Amino acid sequence: MASVNVEKLVKKYGDLEVLHSIDLDVEDGQFVVLLGPSGCGKSTLLRTIAGLESSTSGDISIGERNVNGMHPKDRNIAMVFQNYALYAHMKVRDNMAFSMHLNKTPAARIEERVNWAASILSLEPYLDRYPKELSGGQRQRVAMGRAIVRNPDVFLFDEPLSNLDAKLRVQMRTEIKELHKRLKTTTVYVTHDQIEAMTMADVVVIMRDGHIEQMGSPMEIYDNPANLFVAEFIGSPGMNLLAGKIVEDSGKMICRVGELDLPLPEQMNISAGQDVLYGIRPEHLIPSETGVKATINVVEPTGPETHLFCHMSGHDVCAVSRERMNWKADEVILVEPTLEYVHLFDAQTKEAIKRKT
Amino acid sequence: MAEAQINHQDGRGGRKLLALPQWLTSEHPLPWLFPATAMLIIFGIYPVLYSLWLSFFKRNPATRVEKFDPSWNWSKLIADDRVWDAVVVTLTYTSVALIIQLVLGMLIALLLDSDRRGFGVLRALMTLPLVVPPAVTGMMFLLMYDGSFGVISHVLYDLGILSPNAPLLANGSTALLSVIIVDVWQWTPFMVLIMLAGLRALPKDPFEAAAIDGATDVQAFFRLTLPMMSKIIALAVLIRGIDLFRIYDYVKVMTDSGPGTATETLTAYTGTVYFKSADFPYASTVAIFTLLTVLVVANVFIKIFRVRF
Ligand SMILES: Nc1ncnc2c1ncn2[C@@H]1O[C@H](COP(=O)(O)OP(=O)(O)O)[C@@H](O)[C@H]1O
Ligand SMILES: [Mg+2]
Repeated sequence: MASVNVEKLVKKYGDLEVLHSIDLDVEDGQFVVLLGPSGCGKSTLLRTIAGLESSTSGDISIGERNVNGMHPKDRNIAMVFQNYALYAHMKVRDNMAFSMHLNKTPAARIEERVNWAASILSLEPYLDRYPKELSGGQRQRVAMGRAIVRNPDVFLFDEPLSNLDAKLRVQMRTEIKELHKRLKTTTVYVTHDQIEAMTMADVVVIMRDGHIEQMGSPMEIYDNPANLFVAEFIGSPGMNLLAGKIVEDSGKMICRVGELDLPLPEQMNISAGQDVLYGIRPEHLIPSETGVKATINVVEPTGPETHLFCHMSGHDVCAVSRERMNWKADEVILVEPTLEYVHLFDAQTKEAIKRKT
Repeated sequence: MAEAQINHQDGRGGRKLLALPQWLTSEHPLPWLFPATAMLIIFGIYPVLYSLWLSFFKRNPATRVEKFDPSWNWSKLIADDRVWDAVVVTLTYTSVALIIQLVLGMLIALLLDSDRRGFGVLRALMTLPLVVPPAVTGMMFLLMYDGSFGVISHVLYDLGILSPNAPLLANGSTALLSVIIVDVWQWTPFMVLIMLAGLRALPKDPFEAAAIDGATDVQAFFRLTLPMMSKIIALAVLIRGIDLFRIYDYVKVMTDSGPGTATETLTAYTGTVYFKSADFPYASTVAIFTLLTVLVVANVFIKIFRVRF
């Protein structure tokens, strides 16, 4: 096991700079998820750590070793690819044993390791099959088996679950998490699926256009998005965002959005006249006795909670309730933002406005 | 078929897109198979059957009378040393040329398998020898091999590899190899093309996985590239092998089976029997025998390497 340190990493394809001076520290045993929209450079970062892409400048070290320019085979890492990348002409057993065949591990030891991995991943019945005779989920497990038999310093996953159906994805998510609990191997996991990131990560790294936007535990990122991009990217349904202006009303700061006056928490670093974006997550915009008027447009019951998509003086917002009320479309209700979960973003810089401490 | 249906419907709808006769829009396979089948029967099956039939006749060269005697030519063939010498020459020629072309073709394909600038042009240039007519290639090399003014011979003289007393094509021990080199020059590009098509179609991921699993490039070649290309390699061996087996032009142009019968292949011997001795029934027998040999060798290969089409 080992830590992974990336310092000022720049990656260019020709003139196109894809990664701009990335700094990333993954502690020994941590499960770090790189999250971001498609094309933001997650795979490139992961593949540069793996040595499949060369870096343009900057340093990468795994454990104490600086691995700049080192061939992937010497980095003692294991990688699981999105489309499995199994060796089609080898049986499951040989797929998993490939790395050990290469370094001339004794046959008995290979047998032992393969059986160990197969038992963890419930692959015993399939050891003598070819990859094409397996289902998607089983192939994915073989790819993981191939990674774990080697006892690598670091696991790298590149969207390993995106080719699986929804149900299997949830199941494999748990399996990967359990595997990590058991092996405690440092892991860097790439995904564009925020649920995967939230559920699996010790640390989520949000990326956009080759920059790291924010790093932190899932709940930290959820509760304190550093900027508008992170706020919009995390959470489903997404955070309600209303463009407004700060005004002072009888000694209190409020946010005026059109003809609506929205309450603000105390102690915000704001001044009257400032243009802001008022952000509130749907589950913190709750139907109640008091609050702001909203007209229900669509009612979406999901089971545990009900999503109410409403018009609020020309703005579309979503409110969430766990109550089982018999709401109807076109009904006018009152919704109340929970003050402590109100987020403000500067309209120009799109950065979050901090509270005074 | 779908298009034919659409035409029918349009026809009924009043506005015909294509006014084709009924049999040209037929969905029955027979009308479509007929032209190719007819060609195959006239130019493929009939001549073979006729040759087989001919091989059962004994020709009297003096009277030019052909008499039915089914075993005559076939027992003559079995006792004919020139046939068996030709089998050895043909098999040697085929296997040596095939192995060189296969290895060389793969190596060159590996070098040219790159997305970098200029490699597309290199790949195109590589195919140039394929457009030279084989007889012309033979003539070209005949001149270059020539003992008194040929460039290749002179280079070999200067390097001390060859003695001017034994010109390449007039020497029993170098003649066959010299012809094989011509074949290699002309046909390796074909091998390169097939191998390149195979290499370019290989998925990238398994190779990345192998690099991470600890494989060097050489290990990846033997453990991934070769097995993943096995079908294509088998196909290339089959196509090129059958082609090599019926080698005629280079031998005819360059050595005319000589010196002696050192480069006499089965097809060359067939030609000699047919055109020089005018013994048509016996020539047919050797030709049918050649066909049988190819069939046997090719099918043994298909069985051993489990080639599927
Ligand atoms: N081989 C390449 N050549 C040029 N540009 C590339 C190459 N690979 C990726 N890119 C570009 O780099 C950016 C990041 O790609 P990638 O890391 O695959 O994104 P992600 O995995 O986050 O979806 C994209 O804009 C992509 O177009
Ligand atoms: Mg990607």
